[in-house]
Amino acid sequence: MITVKNLTKVYGKKENTFTALNDVSFAVPDGATVAIVGKSGSGKSTLMHIMSGLDSPTRGTVEIGDQILSTLKGKAMDKFRATSMSFIFQSFFVEPNQTVYQNVMLPLEIARVGRRARKAKVLAALNAVELSDKVDNKAANLSGGQKQRLAIARAIVNKPKLIFADEPTGNLDSATGDKIVQLLFGLNKSIGSTLIIVTHDHELAARCQIRINLKDGVIDSMGRTKPRVVAKTRPAPRPQPRKVI
Amino acid sequence: MYIADVMRRSGRSIRSAKGRTLLTALAIAVGTFALSLTLAASNGAQKFVDQIISDNFDPAELIVAADESITSNASPSKPQQYDPSFGSTASGAGATIQVKRITDEDIKKIRALNSVESVREGIQLNVLYVTREGQNKYVATIAGLSPSQKPETLAGDVQQPPQDQTILIPEAFVQSLGFANASDAIGQKITVAVRKPINPASLDPAVLLEIQANPQKLDEITASSIVFEEYVIAAVLKKPTTSQPGTELYLYVNNADARRLQDISTTGTAEFGKFFTVNVKVKNGENPTTLEAAQKDLKDLGYFSLSVKETQAFLNQAIGILQAVVVTFGAIAVVASIFGIINTMYISVLQRTREIGLMKALGMRKRDIGRLFRFEAALIGLLGGLIGTGLSLVAGLIGNPAIRKAIDYDGNLIIFEPLQLGGLVILLIFVSIFAGWLPSRKAAKLDPIEALRTE
Repeated sequence: MITVKNLTKVYGKKENTFTALNDVSFAVPDGATVAIVGKSGSGKSTLMHIMSGLDSPTRGTVEIGDQILSTLKGKAMDKFRATSMSFIFQSFFVEPNQTVYQNVMLPLEIARVGRRARKAKVLAALNAVELSDKVDNKAANLSGGQKQRLAIARAIVNKPKLIFADEPTGNLDSATGDKIVQLLFGLNKSIGSTLIIVTHDHELAARCQIRINLKDGVIDSMGRTKPRVVAKTRPAPRPQPRKVI
Repeated sequence: MYIADVMRRSGRSIRSAKGRTLLTALAIAVGTFALSLTLAASNGAQKFVDQIISDNFDPAELIVAADESITSNASPSKPQQYDPSFGSTASGAGATIQVKRITDEDIKKIRALNSVESVREGIQLNVLYVTREGQNKYVATIAGLSPSQKPETLAGDVQQPPQDQTILIPEAFVQSLGFANASDAIGQKITVAVRKPINPASLDPAVLLEIQANPQKLDEITASSIVFEEYVIAAVLKKPTTSQPGTELYLYVNNADARRLQDISTTGTAEFGKFFTVNVKVKNGENPTTLEAAQKDLKDLGYFSLSVKETQAFLNQAIGILQAVVVTFGAIAVVASIFGIINTMYISVLQRTREIGLMKALGMRKRDIGRLFRFEAALIGLLGGLIGTGLSLVAGLIGNPAIRKAIDYDGNLIIFEPLQLGGLVILLIFVSIFAGWLPSRKAAKLDPIEALRTE
């Protein structure tokens, strides 16, 4: 269960402040697929950064399982992140000079997984994304779709509780994007991770169990496709005028 | 991350930027080359000096003088008072000085010391000339052969001490004196001419009047004051490479002959029976403690002494200065290359901003990210060190035979010590890690959100 409570993020100081998130609260059960939807500047990236512990909120808390993120500092936060979450990005962020195998190995090295267990895990992850035949290829030689599949393999190799996907289909054509989405959802089911997708693609969002629509830093609406999802939100306050940066 | 994984990733990133890495490493290699070669050359020079010392000096001997100038090469800072008993003046380093010399009286006093075994006058006499019948006359320096000298010969044998009225001549004199070859010269006689000084006071007043009237008469008198001695050539000495510098053309006789020649040439002058230095053999002088005790005895009598060790230190000081100059330039090159490393590492950090961001997002620790880049810097340092020392080894391989040929010396003048080379490479690795510190800190402190922002 992920519980987000009264999350507020304010950038800047004094008269130059900008409120990116304003009192956002919701809860997501384990294993759910969540879409955070909104236009650019709506605060969806900020929300993802705070939920993944990369950024800290001005007010409010994020609880993942029984762990309150803001209580984790330095080493403990790194360890928690290394074992519990992973990322998929719009521009893949695979290392072009490294082989497919080496790319997938990275999270295992960071999480200090024993050397003997690594190979099987990497091969299993590559198998899951159907890249088994490219193990020793340089990542630079892969197509866009293959790169994103590689990134997915990297994201699932350590079986994290939480996978963040930031516009995972943004750089792909619709056919390839479709395949990637199917793959993502399939894997989410098979490994039981919670999948949080940040996107402005409503079609993709519609396939998620929970949709959180952000607008100017507040939850505009929340949709559920399954009854077990619990959402808590206060009535949205008047949106603050946004400053143009 | 495990250290091994960090190292592997550093190595990979170095390999993916070969050109840049190699160029940076070459900058370090230049300094390393200079440092490594200097170290090797000074090893060789040290050995060369040791060889000179052991070939020319007896460690149980002290060089003793009555004047302090023997123990320092500093020129006097204020004018020195004239003392007629000191004899003629000499030019020191840029200054004219009078040197107090050792007299027979002094020698007696030194001999009387319990710690002293024997005393030998140090004689290097500029004779008027040496020649042979039907040959040209050559200026020459004649010295008493020291018992510790073991000169190599081309022909004949060196006896210690040489027999009376025999002489050892250097190779270069063989042709000049008209011999076909070295063995031809053995047993032949040469003439040594020494001028006996004329004391005007001792001349007959009638002769003085005669000179006044006819100046040519003076030449006759001076010519008649030349004393000739005949010497039999006992040996021809091979051109030495480990002799004291400046003694290559010395002719050697035994000390008694040398003393007599000096006495003739100084008769009636203030220099008669006076010596700049004497060689004092100390009883059990091989033992440093005994030697030091003897030096103290001499000091108490008012004499200044120099042991072989001190002479060696003197020579090594000169080598040390040269060394310091080259080491300074090498060190400057290394310091300059530090900036090259910093620059390269900053580029590497910038180039890999996203990778760093991703690693941090995935929970890689700051410490490990810092290490990743410091290892990278260390590898550049290692590479530069290996290239530099490797090149210097090649230079030694080429240089040694060339030098051997040029100065006719059996040993190597460029000597590499594995420990020194290893130490140098390790030092460079540390220098590189130091240079990589700032860039690695920048990498460790990178904000992953900034780093992962798309375009």
